[in-house]
Amino acid sequence: MRKIALNVNDEEYSVEAKPHHSLLHVLREQLGLTGAKEGCGEGHCGACTVLLDGRPVNSCLLLAVEAEGARVTTIEGLAEGGRLHPIQEAFINQGAVQCGYCTPGMILSAKALLDEIPDPGEKEIREAISGNLCRCTGYVKIVEAIRAAGKALAATRGA
Amino acid sequence: MALSIVGKRAIRLEAPEKVTGSAAFVADLKLPGLLVGKVLRSPHPHARILNIDTSRARALAGVKTVVTFTDTPGIKYNAAAHPAPGSVLLRDQYLLADTARYVGDPVAAVAAVDEDTAAEALDLIRVDYQPLPFVLEAEAAMAPGAPLLHDSGRNIVGRVEFTLGDVEDGFREADHIFEHRYRTSKVFPCSVEPPGVTMARADWSGRLTVWSSTQMPHQIRRIVAGALGVPQGKVRVIKPYVGGGFGSRLGAVNEPLCALLAMRTQKPVRLAYSIEETFLGTESRHPIDLTLRTGVKADGTLTARRLDAILNAGAYATHSVSFASPVGNWFRGMYKCPNYRYEGIAVYTNTSPSGAFRGYGNPQVNFAVESQMDEIAEHLGLDPLTLREKNHPCMGDIWERTKWPIESCGLEEALSLGAAEIGWREKRGKSRDGGKGRAGGGSSSGTGDASSTGNAVRGGDAFRHRGVGMAYMLHCSCGRPALHELSTAMVKMNEDGSANLLYAGADSGQGSLTVMAQIVAETVGIPLEQVQIDPVTDTDLTGFEVGSHASRQIYAGGNAVRRAALAARHEIVALAADIVGAAPGDLEIADGVIRSTSDEQKQVTVAEICREALFGSRRRQIIGMVSEEPEGNPPVYAAQFAEVEVDTRTGAVEVLKLVAAHDVGVAINPANVEGQIEGALQQGLGYALTEEVVHQPATGRPGASNLGEYKVLTAKDMPEIKVIIVEAASRTGPYGAKGVGESGLVPTAAAIGNAIYDAVGVHLDSLPFTPSRVLAALKGEAGAKGAVITVKK
Repeated sequence: MRKIALNVNDEEYSVEAKPHHSLLHVLREQLGLTGAKEGCGEGHCGACTVLLDGRPVNSCLLLAVEAEGARVTTIEGLAEGGRLHPIQEAFINQGAVQCGYCTPGMILSAKALLDEIPDPGEKEIREAISGNLCRCTGYVKIVEAIRAAGKALAATRGA
Repeated sequence: MALSIVGKRAIRLEAPEKVTGSAAFVADLKLPGLLVGKVLRSPHPHARILNIDTSRARALAGVKTVVTFTDTPGIKYNAAAHPAPGSVLLRDQYLLADTARYVGDPVAAVAAVDEDTAAEALDLIRVDYQPLPFVLEAEAAMAPGAPLLHDSGRNIVGRVEFTLGDVEDGFREADHIFEHRYRTSKVFPCSVEPPGVTMARADWSGRLTVWSSTQMPHQIRRIVAGALGVPQGKVRVIKPYVGGGFGSRLGAVNEPLCALLAMRTQKPVRLAYSIEETFLGTESRHPIDLTLRTGVKADGTLTARRLDAILNAGAYATHSVSFASPVGNWFRGMYKCPNYRYEGIAVYTNTSPSGAFRGYGNPQVNFAVESQMDEIAEHLGLDPLTLREKNHPCMGDIWERTKWPIESCGLEEALSLGAAEIGWREKRGKSRDGGKGRAGGGSSSGTGDASSTGNAVRGGDAFRHRGVGMAYMLHCSCGRPALHELSTAMVKMNEDGSANLLYAGADSGQGSLTVMAQIVAETVGIPLEQVQIDPVTDTDLTGFEVGSHASRQIYAGGNAVRRAALAARHEIVALAADIVGAAPGDLEIADGVIRSTSDEQKQVTVAEICREALFGSRRRQIIGMVSEEPEGNPPVYAAQFAEVEVDTRTGAVEVLKLVAAHDVGVAINPANVEGQIEGALQQGLGYALTEEVVHQPATGRPGASNLGEYKVLTAKDMPEIKVIIVEAASRTGPYGAKGVGESGLVPTAAAIGNAIYDAVGVHLDSLPFTPSRVLAALKGEAGAKGAVITVKK
């Protein structure tokens, strides 16, 4: 066991973890943050996506110890003050949510994209979520939701 | 009254829980002292198990139990979740194998304090195997002298025959006879939450609670009880949020085994299969070998149809004894023809068991039938659309699948809208009109012609050819009359006028919960926000429900829900009539208010009536309850169109656009219907192009066991998609609805295959259409080499 310090959703945590434990394992089993899902556990499906200093990573492939000193954002950190993030709103309103298992990772990949490119084209959106598999939606309404969220965010910034 | 909630794009009730990561799936649940289970699997495709030494594993600190065959109740069971009497559930499987019958067959299981300890314990188990001869292909497994998997003396596990008229007479009447052989691949549902995640707890009062990521909670209760030899009443199944189904959870995956570990330890246990275990040991779509013979008149009239299907069942029967029936049913239901004959044989092989995957035999049959129809149209010089229009069964015709008259048919509209969307008239046949852009066209000069005739070739690239193709399909709205389709629903009216729907729905992402709430709100006459339904299904708290299979949820479950809501509404109206002094027939309810249609002054709210019922003179809660099957099983129709571009140098097929025009009856929630079809297209496209598991001849191991080796399409891989909803209302469905869940992928592979033909002039006979298969077909080394026999008169 090793003591590690993690910053998750702007909270400081000190946890005891085995050196080989993934960030996903520590988030889910020790911090009780189960929004990041384990799909394949091998970095192919993206259900475990979290943001590391704003960049999407597969938390199943990252050792927890490697996340020390970085800012980790999980889906639990998106809604603020009881209000959903515009991307979350857009996913709801566009019907982009079906089973919901890929949704947290998908939303975080979308956030990383929109933080970098506020008004992405369809190609950029598809590229940005190409590491997140969805088996329910054919991605159609997910792409629409991300585009709608981009517009909503742009409107907020403009205001 | 006009509908106010049915037909609306209602926002999913549970979506906020999902976008915030709050929705709890099985693996998100915790209980104090939760143990982790793991399974040891056979590395051999067929082996006698001589001895299992578990002593070192048992001695490891933190290991709470180790179980092998001798620790199971020794009861043979069947994991498929079909209730009798419609299906035969051959019991040929133990919870842990006595003899290993495929690579991945579970031979031992452990429960330990944590993941690492459980994994270490598996490493310490020593199994002495005596490898046995094995067989992977169905046809080989039927041959004399093939290795036998079970004690039954043969590998044939099920055989079904259907006949109408005299098929030989029909072939004699034909002008042409077409004969082809098609092969379909082994593919997996690949829900992003892998199937096989269970938590179980055996409590000290003798109850067994199983948290299962299932599509069929009540069936899981029956299977778990049966496999463990415990009374069914002692088993409680709870289904929390489920991460996609598609058939992968249509039977028991590991619920009985997890429950066994819980009973042995008297502690809660979680057993979650990895992605590798999904490919090694959970159910796939059946690979089928289909020999199809069709007799046709010169004008396109069908005179005889014959299908001989050989199904690879895998190592255990699960669905397969009965599965040959739907395969034949899809076949005979597709086209009107006075003479047909079907024979389906399901065969054991040393591969993982085949089972349910969206479409339940129809994707395989449709690929064969619709690929051949394209060839028939070409040979007769008919437009493929015309051939379908001429021969498909329509409203009023008997649907051979059910032998009942068809309630409604929106196919003609679907064909016409779909054809317009893809540009059928402008594009079809253009590549081949030039005559030079056909097979091996990379070396031809015809591609220039192709682009000039409107069948544009990208950037003038002489090696890339475009084409369009189509296929049609019929699917079901439930499993009647063969299968039991009971649903039970209770609508409980609260004193504030809100309703709770108690219904064991099995929403695994399709959105049926929301649709059920829409049905209740519409039927009772209250706002949608006033209907509550728990996304967690609990067999202790709800009536019997078959579950989510056969595209039945809205048609069959929705029927019971609507009828329960109607029963509640009748009580509300009767009491309101007393209170306002009106005839019940004179009252209508909308938006929670009951009004007399003849006297505006006479009105009362639903809340007031419910309060009066509970606390006033009646002292009785208004509850509507119904337990019944739906009356029919209306077929759903679809026409799908594909535009592709084929590179004749590499054999690569790029799908540019998919158009899916579906008659779903009335779409109670159009957004959900689109979502079902859009998602199914992704799976249909994968079936057509990339998804396949081949068991390796030398080792019997599956050639793909992760999502790197098994290609599920990403957002970048998807073409433009256009879904067109056609609403030919059914007579028997709730608000005219029919099924939709499975249909979206049924004709996709054939539509793409037929577009490939349009582009480069070769028909492919095997799925998926990999570049190497396309290249081989272009070189004339593979592809559909069917026989066309012109009948001498």
